[in-house]
Amino acid sequence: MAPSKKPAKTAKPVKSKPKPKPRAAALAARVPPPDVAHADPTLFDPLTPGEIADALRTLTEDRRLSSMAKVGRYRVICTEPLVVKPPHWMAGHRLARVVVYDYAADRTVDACVDLDAGVVAHLELTRAQPMLSRDEEALAVSIAMVDDRVREQLALGDVPQSTLHYWGRTPDDLAFARRSAAVVFGRADGHASIVAVVDLLENLVTRVVPAEHW
Amino acid sequence: MSNVIAEAHWKVHWRLTESAGIMIYLADYRGHRVLWEASLPYVTVDHQRETLELRDDPDEAHGPWWIPLGARTLQGPVRMQSFRGGVELSAAFAAGPYHYTQLWRFHDDGRLCPWLTIYGPGVHDQHTYHPHWRFDFDLDGARDDAFERYEDARWHRVEKEGWFPYSGEADEHGNVWRQVDVTSGAAVSIRPHTWDDAELFAIRYHDGEWAPYSPRSEAGSATFPSAYVGEEPLDGDDVTLWYVAHVHFDQSFPYTAGPWIKVEGFGG
Repeated sequence: MAPSKKPAKTAKPVKSKPKPKPRAAALAARVPPPDVAHADPTLFDPLTPGEIADALRTLTEDRRLSSMAKVGRYRVICTEPLVVKPPHWMAGHRLARVVVYDYAADRTVDACVDLDAGVVAHLELTRAQPMLSRDEEALAVSIAMVDDRVREQLALGDVPQSTLHYWGRTPDDLAFARRSAAVVFGRADGHASIVAVVDLLENLVTRVVPAEHW
Repeated sequence: MSNVIAEAHWKVHWRLTESAGIMIYLADYRGHRVLWEASLPYVTVDHQRETLELRDDPDEAHGPWWIPLGARTLQGPVRMQSFRGGVELSAAFAAGPYHYTQLWRFHDDGRLCPWLTIYGPGVHDQHTYHPHWRFDFDLDGARDDAFERYEDARWHRVEKEGWFPYSGEADEHGNVWRQVDVTSGAAVSIRPHTWDDAELFAIRYHDGEWAPYSPRSEAGSATFPSAYVGEEPLDGDDVTLWYVAHVHFDQSFPYTAGPWIKVEGFGG
């Protein structure tokens, strides 16, 4: 059935646009352009748990990262507030910077999620190595603790002291291009005894070095 | 505790980061915007060999390492304390044999001290600390800034991005570098610690070149902030500065690294 034709609206009488009052125009002209001096400090506030969840959901739903999300071999390194300066179009928006390490593709995802708009506003995929997440630090310790070479060299009272974010200086070193950690073992008083280098791609200890020879 | 300091002619916001220590942001001095944000993105540590004969032990050429200074390594609360003539923020961080106290001190005469006290024995004596501070000064607005370096007994305007080590030459107040707001003439002058073996990177600000979550860029590439240095002009634009100290461990530790920064041109 053909749609019934709507009755034609009668045209409204043309109103002339009221001219701005001289005072209002002068005030408008005096409004300064967006500037760093007028930034909203609350944009720097830590993200709430809900904002963090929102940012990660938005990121993993982005089509450009669908393979990463599907395979699921990635670690979220950090999710922190990000504030861009005026006159950038995102200035004044609530933003989250999300850094992820994608083990499946051996790459870093560095993204800016616009929480106001619900979109990934900026995405960089690089071969840079971001810091280790807390989970990766803990994983490195657990790998080192069960390695036979490490266990043989531990003295009574030695415990894992810290996990350092390590990279090799030369291509001869496996940690030159691979995601790695160095677990320092020692006594509770701070004296270090051995260093175990852990390859986090293969979950293996690649080197065990007495601390004094590091 | 509030995360806003309003004391000694300063108004400063701060927050604890995941890896860059205490970050300060939106800092004003005498009602003028001085700084967008500043932080301590990382402190790398490298180790020296006791012998220079590489062939003796070719497998022992280790790279550097670092540990994030943030919530995971914080020891106790962030403290805010007044002192005569100013106010300071401090926080202690520890990771195994490495211990640090980060300080931000604000003086009523316009001085700002981003310092790091380094303690701890390390895994052995032959090691060097490299604290990296990042400053995004916005003097009375982000644009119209210039960067200058003291050289040959006078201040020189620097045209392009680059790396500017401390050569030993400084003005009568010890200042070596400064960022100037061209319009207002206000400036922040930077005086390195004599023993910091300091260097400064001046980089044009770009969205996307935020403080990286690691010094480590792609394998074989320059680390940050060197990786950000290109050929872009600085004059009249928005500039980001990185101050890097190089502090070799010795028996006289603890050592406090970091520059004196002085805000000038806003009265007082």
